[in-house]
Amino acid sequence: MAGIFRTIYDWLLRMFWATEMDVTMIGLQNAGKSSLLRVLAGGEFTVDSIPTIGFNTKRVQKGHVTLKCWDLGGQPRFRPMWERYCRGVNAIVYIVDAADRAALPVAMEELHDLMNKATLEGIPLLVLGNKSDLPNKLSVDELIDAMELKSITHREVSCYGISAKEETNLDAVLHWLIARASR
Amino acid sequence: MSYMKKDEDADQTMIKLDRTSVFQDARLFNSSPISPRTCRTLLTKIAVLLFTGEQFPTNEATTLFFGISKLFQNKDPSLRQMVYLILKELANTAEDVIMSTSIIMKDTAVGSDVLYRANAIRALCRIIDATTVQGIERLIKTAIVDKAPSVSSAALVSSYHLLPIARDVVRRWQSETQEAASGGKQSTGFLGFGGGSQAHAISQSNFMTQYHAIGLLYQMRSHDRMALVKMVQQYGTAGVIKSPAALVLLVRLAAKLAQEDQGLRKPMMQMLDGWLRHKHEMVNFEAAKAICDMRDVSDAEASQAVHVLQLFLSSPRSITKFAAIRILHNFATFKPQVVNVCNPDIEALISNSNRSIATFAITTLLKTGNEASVDRLMKQISGFMADITDEFKITIVEAIRTLCLKFPSKQAGMLSFLSGILRDEGGYEFKRSVVESMFDLIKFVPDSKEDALAHLCEFIEDCEFTKLSVRILHLLGVEGPKTSHPTKFIRYIYNRVVLENAIVRAAAVTALAKFGVGQKDPEVKSSVSVLLTRCLDDTDDEVRDRAALNLRLMSEEDETATRFISNDSMYSLSTFEHQLVMYVTSNDKGTFSTAFDVATIPVVSQEQALAEERTKKLTSATPTLKAPSTGPPKGKSNGVAEAVTVAATQKYAEQLMQIPELKEYGTLLKSSAPVELTESETEYVVTAVKHIFKEHIVLQYDIKNTLPDTVLEDVTMVVAPSEDDVLEEEFIVPAPKLATNEPGIVYVTFKKLAGEHSVPVTSFTNNLKFTSKEIDPTTGEPEESGYEDEYQVEDLELTGSDYVIPTFAGSFDHVWEQTGANGEEVSETLQLSNMKGISDATEQLISALSLQPLEGTDVALSNSTHTLKLFGKTVTGGRVAALIKMAFSSKSGVTTKIVVRAEEEDVAPAVIASLT
Repeated sequence: MAGIFRTIYDWLLRMFWATEMDVTMIGLQNAGKSSLLRVLAGGEFTVDSIPTIGFNTKRVQKGHVTLKCWDLGGQPRFRPMWERYCRGVNAIVYIVDAADRAALPVAMEELHDLMNKATLEGIPLLVLGNKSDLPNKLSVDELIDAMELKSITHREVSCYGISAKEETNLDAVLHWLIARASR
Repeated sequence: MSYMKKDEDADQTMIKLDRTSVFQDARLFNSSPISPRTCRTLLTKIAVLLFTGEQFPTNEATTLFFGISKLFQNKDPSLRQMVYLILKELANTAEDVIMSTSIIMKDTAVGSDVLYRANAIRALCRIIDATTVQGIERLIKTAIVDKAPSVSSAALVSSYHLLPIARDVVRRWQSETQEAASGGKQSTGFLGFGGGSQAHAISQSNFMTQYHAIGLLYQMRSHDRMALVKMVQQYGTAGVIKSPAALVLLVRLAAKLAQEDQGLRKPMMQMLDGWLRHKHEMVNFEAAKAICDMRDVSDAEASQAVHVLQLFLSSPRSITKFAAIRILHNFATFKPQVVNVCNPDIEALISNSNRSIATFAITTLLKTGNEASVDRLMKQISGFMADITDEFKITIVEAIRTLCLKFPSKQAGMLSFLSGILRDEGGYEFKRSVVESMFDLIKFVPDSKEDALAHLCEFIEDCEFTKLSVRILHLLGVEGPKTSHPTKFIRYIYNRVVLENAIVRAAAVTALAKFGVGQKDPEVKSSVSVLLTRCLDDTDDEVRDRAALNLRLMSEEDETATRFISNDSMYSLSTFEHQLVMYVTSNDKGTFSTAFDVATIPVVSQEQALAEERTKKLTSATPTLKAPSTGPPKGKSNGVAEAVTVAATQKYAEQLMQIPELKEYGTLLKSSAPVELTESETEYVVTAVKHIFKEHIVLQYDIKNTLPDTVLEDVTMVVAPSEDDVLEEEFIVPAPKLATNEPGIVYVTFKKLAGEHSVPVTSFTNNLKFTSKEIDPTTGEPEESGYEDEYQVEDLELTGSDYVIPTFAGSFDHVWEQTGANGEEVSETLQLSNMKGISDATEQLISALSLQPLEGTDVALSNSTHTLKLFGKTVTGGRVAALIKMAFSSKSGVTTKIVVRAEEEDVAPAVIASLT
């Protein structure tokens, strides 16, 4: 019975307070952006996905909020185009492979380059340390240090450790995003 | 209501679409949520701009491209289609288009909406770059063999576009393409429930994929002739290909193969012949056209095609008749006797209500008909001249022009016809062709001169085209003084001075002057000078200048004046143009340090130029200009052979002047083309050039050492002539050192023992002599001691043709008689069994003899016999003419009878000897 009410309540919310928000997902290649998006949209996790050439979009429905997610390719030649897709979005999600220590300096540099762009002033940033299921991953605190997140000012910055494969902490990610919808 | 409003809106904006405002509106794409309807309208506006030729600058195109890519969030299929249409167009100008690859790839996958799947594939191939093509390989492969014809076609066409950027990847899709080409499965079963008419439409378009597949297959295999032949034979058999368009493609391919390879000619001709009986008219026409366009097609081969076309002539449909008569018209220009048989059918078309068909019918008849029927046809044409467009009028005028040259006795009738249509309304092109025809009449049919000039005079009285007036005035100036009543023309010309604009006035003044200079009659002379004096008050300075100059010249001695005013010689224009182009396009800075030297251009007399022009005009409708698909012409058109020889000699002359010992030999008279004395892959590659001087012969050996890590030092050539009493060796200029792959030159000089006019013919044995030293791999320096070595290369022949230079002459018969009268004649019959055919033999003989082909005889019209007329001059200036009659049979090859006449002693036998 409560379930029915819940459904009706959700439906009403969608009817009258439905909001859409744009979220851009970026990060170096092989960080797990496309996989995470697929899982967020309710799909199955697959190990062998092909590299994204350019970008992909998916809509994720959560309660009365529709997330329009832009999943951008992470290869070096697409990185100059990130900024264009980040303009005017509600949130930027930066995904890092927490188990790939060698790539961290590059990831840090690319993130700071992007954050210094004037057009992206004030847009909330969520840094996700993906692949937390792997043994030699960095902890969240280590990640914050490695990415020098403390030096990013004038915007909301959060950092979570997640695993798209094991679906850990994904709810927290969605909640964080939805909280930015009413901004 | 909202509908109404939007439509009104759209109507207004359609009229005045502006790039900037549309670009401003494009911010709409970034809004959320997306309204498919308004976005589609906006996209349509962009499409209108793009397709009406508006170009978005790169930054705007990029912004638009990214804006539009945001529309992918919306699932509306018609919006998606529109998005793809625009993306495809913007992909060329926008930057970073590769960004959309992934999102488009999603739409090309099996299972996405068929409506826009084809659009997605077409857009994908535009934005993808060479490195990513591999990533879509599987996707395109499945799309090629897809059940939906639209998807399959899109994939095939996309592959066609991808081929140039990713050849290797696309070539791997051959088997899929073949499957699509043979079109085993029909989509009628799949969509059959749609009812009869729809099923028909679908199956039609399914055949279209065959067309695309054949086109793609051809591109994939274009480098491999055998594969192409196989393809033609495989798909050419009846029933395999259902699409007529695809068959037309095969017909063209077969024709191309037959043109390129003599060996394939026979099987391909058989295929073409078979297609003549195909059930689609389109294929019949293409096959007939291909056969008629075939180089040196025989009468028997063409007769079948002509017969098929003849049947079409009596078809009830205009378009069929038109296509048939058009092909026959083209064919009749060079093989009228074959088209003759259709004459009754063509006659019936003269009065056809479709003017285009009637025009072609008449012009065809003019070509095929005999002299008697000309008058009747002319009358017929004048009947409807007013009803047809300029383009067809020009066709008719051209036909009449060739007719005039063919039947000079008919000139009176044709001249009155030409002057009649000259008075009609018409554009510049049409008037020009009429005037040019009359020019030709004046030049080549002397009887018509006075009448034609009179008609032209009348024409300029009322001519709105300055260019034509100027040309006519020039002609009047040249021809007028030679006529019986020059005063008549003076009046017409002076009228122009009074009435026309400055350009025409200036031309008229020059023309007038020609009447005054060298004029016997003092009365005429004085009246011309009176008229010219009046021109001194003209408002235009060019006119005044010309008048003053000419007045001055008239008072001069006649001889000086004649030299200036009636100059009878001009530069060989083709050579002049070639030299100028060479000069202007030169990459060497040194070229520009000296001014262009006009003196190097050969001067030809007016008569020679005229003769050349006439042959060109008479043959302009013959196969000389045909078969454009056979690759670049081989640079042997009139005058070019001459120019090439001259240019080569000049280049070498500069090189030779660098060597002090050779300076005293005087100027270089002729250099031969390089002769290879070794295979190109041997250790030492040697080519030789023969330079002819007045009393000496210099052999230039270009030597390249291809052995790695060795150095050749003191390189000389030991040369021994086979006959020792004609040439005496003077000295050798050795090459001091030859490193790997660095060319060096050795010169060996000989003195002609028998004096400057002798033509020594001999062969030289050549031994390369050198000291070979290995390079020490550690220091990179050559070792101290080497060993001496010799290396024999092939013999070099010095032949008669090395002493002759191709030269142009106006009339072969003329020079033939003259050289015959004061020279010697030698003839010989030769069996050239290694030649593949007449045209091959013609080409090889021209280059072997180093003579200039005259009167268009460098193009063989027949497969079995040909007469080649050649002319040249020896390095000392004596004339050489050769008449070569050839006959070809498949058993014995080409049999030739060569007659050479030369003014100087020993030249004729020497020239003939260069063939044996």
